[in-house]
Amino acid sequence: MTAPAIRLRGIHKHFGAAHVLRGIDLDAQTGDVVSIIGSSGSGKSTLLRCIPFLEQADSGEISVGDAGITLGQPGARLTRPDRAAIRAIRSRVGFVFQNFNLWPHLTALGNVMEVPVHVQKRPKAEVRAEAEAMLEKVGLSHRRDAYPAQLSGGQQQRVAIARALAIRPQALLFDEPTSALDPELVGEVLAVIRSLAEEGRTMILVTHEMGFARHVSTKAIFLHGGLVEEAGPPAQVFGDPHSERCRRFVAGLGIAAP
Amino acid sequence: MFEDLALLGFGPEGWGRALLSAALTTIAVSVCAFLTGSVLGTLLAWAKLGGGAWLQRVADVYGVVLRGVPDLLVIYLFYFGGRQVVAALARLAGHDGPVDVSGFAAGALAIGLISAAGQAEVLRGAYGAIPGGTLEAGLVGGMGRWTLFYRVIVPQGTVTALPGLGNQWQSVVKETALVSVTGLVETMRAVTIASGSTELPFLFYAAGAGIFLAITTLSGFVFRTAEWRVRRWAPTQGRA
Amino acid sequence: MDAAFLLAVLQTLLAGVPLTIGLTLLALAGGGLLALVLAGLRASSRVGAALADAYVFVFRGSPLLIQIFMIYYGLPQFGFIRHSVLWPLLREPYVCAALAFMLNDAAYTSEILRGGLRAVPRGAVEAAVVGNMRRRTIMRRIVLPLAVRQALPAYGIEITSMLKSTSLASVVTLMDVTGVARSLVSETYRAIEVFGAAALIYLVLVTATTAAVRALERHLSIRPAERPAPRSAPA
Repeated sequence: MTAPAIRLRGIHKHFGAAHVLRGIDLDAQTGDVVSIIGSSGSGKSTLLRCIPFLEQADSGEISVGDAGITLGQPGARLTRPDRAAIRAIRSRVGFVFQNFNLWPHLTALGNVMEVPVHVQKRPKAEVRAEAEAMLEKVGLSHRRDAYPAQLSGGQQQRVAIARALAIRPQALLFDEPTSALDPELVGEVLAVIRSLAEEGRTMILVTHEMGFARHVSTKAIFLHGGLVEEAGPPAQVFGDPHSERCRRFVAGLGIAAP
Repeated sequence: MFEDLALLGFGPEGWGRALLSAALTTIAVSVCAFLTGSVLGTLLAWAKLGGGAWLQRVADVYGVVLRGVPDLLVIYLFYFGGRQVVAALARLAGHDGPVDVSGFAAGALAIGLISAAGQAEVLRGAYGAIPGGTLEAGLVGGMGRWTLFYRVIVPQGTVTALPGLGNQWQSVVKETALVSVTGLVETMRAVTIASGSTELPFLFYAAGAGIFLAITTLSGFVFRTAEWRVRRWAPTQGRA
Repeated sequence: MDAAFLLAVLQTLLAGVPLTIGLTLLALAGGGLLALVLAGLRASSRVGAALADAYVFVFRGSPLLIQIFMIYYGLPQFGFIRHSVLWPLLREPYVCAALAFMLNDAAYTSEILRGGLRAVPRGAVEAAVVGNMRRRTIMRRIVLPLAVRQALPAYGIEITSMLKSTSLASVVTLMDVTGVARSLVSETYRAIEVFGAAALIYLVLVTATTAAVRALERHLSIRPAERPAPRSAPA
């Protein structure tokens, strides 16, 4: 059995007195599309953000590919090997934020090229070619010289996806990618995510778009109160879950039967 | 060195009384200037918001000119220029001797006119931050223009205007130090006289700075308290 | 009020312009550097931050004129200043005025810098963190460029404000535009014409500076005017 592309074991996280993540395990094999669903406050975004260390988990193991880190004490200072491991993990994942978080002073092309050129130190000409290909892939090569302020929300998010792809990640993490978008712009972003899933990319997707999640995922996880209440294939989690709470959650969001 | 500090006190050698009186003069000039600026500033804001194209132009030019010229120069203009004008008028009336123009008046007027430009901008912004719906609600409810003004516009506008007006007040207080060039014995002039007389300039200029800092700090408290009280009943306002 | 006189007045006053501009540039350069020091001080420790706050409080809360007099008249009171190696400099009105302007400008500029840094969107920094950017690189490529763009309008105001404040140099005998005007008035007694002409010169300088700053703002900022039309149209 090959090692999972992404592996989380026993992830705990406190925010002050609140125990937000109470020991989460998660496996994503190469090519898996894992959806994480749950109500607000269930800890889904926090979990995702722990992977590239946007939040520092209190304890647990995180590994992406051959890079991994084990956390012992909450709030413990990070050692140098820890920091190297974090950098290795970050270089292996692309992260797409709910609020896009494009750099306002750079063009679309500039945004996509920034990390490959200034962090990965790849040659500029090669990066430019690849960046333009990524923008083409998300359907925005004609807006490569536009600044984020000149783009709609959906376009900005697609640029953000291209930016995440340009670093040649082993996996992609999506933190509620369409929650900040006007309804009519959601479709164009979901289309890009679907095409990436169909390419066989490893992805973890935190989302409220239940119908989309059901159709595109290979695995789904329902989080409640910091714990995994339901996990399994989409047909189970969305269609016929064991957990009553999960059943009510999914029903409340009105998912159409396939 | 500590005997020197006694010079700041109210004893027989002390300059305390003189400094206190000078500080009060500073406050008096500041108040007159600020109020002048408020009245004129309100007119200017009104002109910019509701006046015809010509009136708006005039108000805009006023703002550009008075914010493009150093305060010291405006004070010189009003003081020395004022003396020139008054002297010419006096000569016409038959009086040939030297004339004097009140430094207080010239200073307060000059600073007031400058402050008007700044206050007009604050008031204009504050008006713009008032939700249009509240004005419509008032009009629909049958309010006349004056009622609308002091029952809808002023209360809401105050929330946004207070911080800006607080800054304007602070500027006015500091600018009054420049009126010392007219000879008026406000704080700046007083400490200059004292330092010349006692040959302890550092002490007295520090004391002068201290007086101004005390005035601006106290004013800051007053304004922040006012802001806090007004903000309580206007929670959606004042985020400008 | 004849045109020939006014023209002569303007010509005489123009002699003061180099000093006005020179003092302004010195004040901004020195003040800017000092503002960076203050920013570093503020970020360094609790005590450092308190010191920086105290500095800003004193220099923004007291009149610039007192600050100038403190340095020009106040410092010579002390023997150790008069006997120090800096004395030849510190006795010069030009140096004293420039020093006062720099110290004053630093207080305002450091606050502007602070505001600019605070306005950098957290998300932009997070995206850089996740992209594995080192802290120094994030500061250089993301935070500072965005902070400068945010701070530019306020700094533009500070520039013109300093330009006008240099007129106070005339009070310590320096012959900037205001200084020349004062001496001209004491000769000719034509206060309105002379000060009026001086005002005109400052007006031109301030307007030119404001226009230049606005042009820079436009060059650096993004024009939202090119937004695509109806949002329902797919890109």
